Amino acid sequence: MAGASIEAIKLVKKFGQLTAVKGVSFKVMRGELYALLGPNGAGKTTTIKMLTTLLKPTSGEAYIEGYSVLRDTIKVRKIIGLIPQDLTADDEMSGWENVLIQAKLYGYKGREAEERARRSLEIVDLWEAAHRRVSTYSGGMRRRLEIAMSLVHDPQVLFLDEPTLGLDVQSRRAIWDLIREFKKNSVTIMLTTHYMEEAEALSDRVAIIDAGEIKAEGAPEDLKSKLGGDKVYIEALTLEDAKAVFSELSQRGFNVKLEDSTVIVKVPNAATSLPEMAGVLSERRVKSVNIVRPNLEEVFLELTGRRLREEAFDSFRFRVLSRKVR
Amino acid sequence: MIRETFVLFVRETKRWAGRRPVLVVSLVTPLFWVLLFGKSFNIINMVNLENLELPQEYYAIAVKIVEVIRLRIFEIFGSQDYFTYMASGMLVVITLFQGTFSGASAIFDKRLGYMTRLMAAPIRRESIYLAKVAASVFRALLLSLILLMVAYIAGFKFKEGFTVLDLAAAVTVVVLISLTFTSIFMVLGFVADSPEALFSVANLVTLPLMFTSSALFPVDQMPEWLRLIASVNPLTYASDLVRFFLIGKTVSDPWLTLAPLAAGSLITLIVGMKISVRALEA
Repeated sequence: MAGASIEAIKLVKKFGQLTAVKGVSFKVMRGELYALLGPNGAGKTTTIKMLTTLLKPTSGEAYIEGYSVLRDTIKVRKIIGLIPQDLTADDEMSGWENVLIQAKLYGYKGREAEERARRSLEIVDLWEAAHRRVSTYSGGMRRRLEIAMSLVHDPQVLFLDEPTLGLDVQSRRAIWDLIREFKKNSVTIMLTTHYMEEAEALSDRVAIIDAGEIKAEGAPEDLKSKLGGDKVYIEALTLEDAKAVFSELSQRGFNVKLEDSTVIVKVPNAATSLPEMAGVLSERRVKSVNIVRPNLEEVFLELTGRRLREEAFDSFRFRVLSRKVR
Repeated sequence: MIRETFVLFVRETKRWAGRRPVLVVSLVTPLFWVLLFGKSFNIINMVNLENLELPQEYYAIAVKIVEVIRLRIFEIFGSQDYFTYMASGMLVVITLFQGTFSGASAIFDKRLGYMTRLMAAPIRRESIYLAKVAASVFRALLLSLILLMVAYIAGFKFKEGFTVLDLAAAVTVVVLISLTFTSIFMVLGFVADSPEALFSVANLVTLPLMFTSSALFPVDQMPEWLRLIASVNPLTYASDLVRFFLIGKTVSDPWLTLAPLAAGSLITLIVGMKISVRALEA
């Protein structure tokens, strides 16, 4: 199909008994930013690995700019850039040496390799620190170096696997700005994340992925509007109070749900509905009232019944990261 | 592929050079062996007559006996002093020490994600393996030469008429034996997921391999069963050849000793490459 930069067709990946990816299909247009949002273990990284020719799909097919990831692996690798989840740069060398090695691996020689390494470092704003040893870099700088290492060959399609994992807010914003810059230069970008703010802030379209399947796909705004507006969480003091609030609100035509001693009310707009509920609430013993505006976390909850979990703890990686990031 | 291999070789070597303490640490154990064990095991001194109180009439016979023993020692060790014998063997053993840890870099590259990055680059997978092997062999050779230098300062005796050509021949042997060990342990690194597995195998095989070869003691002095093991141990072939070139201890047929060594290193290199590339693509 014309204009499709990434096309996945029923991709399946099995590891022994476990089916990590259960037939995902999607298309990403040229210059579009597409996010895979899901908890750890949802199959995001496996999907990326298949699209970047690192893993052979058990079945299904995918095309990057028209090249098959099964048959045209070298062509695919030449036009993609992969920024892995991990911090891969070598501590013992400078940022400059790390990027230069990448440029040479992509076949650039002498002056051109140096020129490309310099430009990549300038893009991520690391040129001034380029000749320092990577072991002296901060976590945010290391992330940006990872990006620079993947830019030396001007990839048309960029894959970012959890690009802001473990970063502070400021460093995260810096990475987001960078990603937005790439988008302006009409690079196709696919990123995975389990941070819903990240998917919301950056992506044109989001695919919500869980247990190896895409549960929903669309622009963040569309996905949220499907939720049908805000949610009001009313936490009552006792179960009896909760039940009373529940029945009274449902008599007045509200869309209500009871969970333990919490009543969840779905309304198009909490700001205008709250005064109407106030009468009911004032007669009961209510501990707290919380308004939740629709966000992708809520979409995920609605679709899967679960929240986006925190990263599973990997002690080896933790040690490595804590050694590297200071 | 040669270009990519070279780029990755430079990376491996730069990383190593960036960790200077590692260089020192990898020299400590072989130096202990050579200087402490090699120097203290002073065989020739065992037949020293100087401080021996002997009846006058025995003296002439004793001198003859010592002469015979010395001849015998020379025949067995190819040198009057055990230190020279042992140090030349350690030049080979150090490649085993270095080789057993060569696979670690593959494991860490996999765990830290660098391998992912390489796999996504348009390079031949073979070059990843070859670069790591080349870098490890280079390191082993460098350590071996440093060890030789230290041994020379400590009294290592080259054969008479020793030339640069002899040194070049010995270097070739060291490279070949290093290729063998590095290839074998590199495969483990590509296949295994944890460094523990690799290190436990390394610990398991290092000493037995060392003792079942001619590196520390001559094969002729071993019981039959041990001699059999030594005759298939690549360390024996390499030690004998290095000794032949450096100190002139005779080898029955240098070419027949070299051929299996060279064949072994070529086979392990190629088979290792095939297995490693397959492990990467799995």
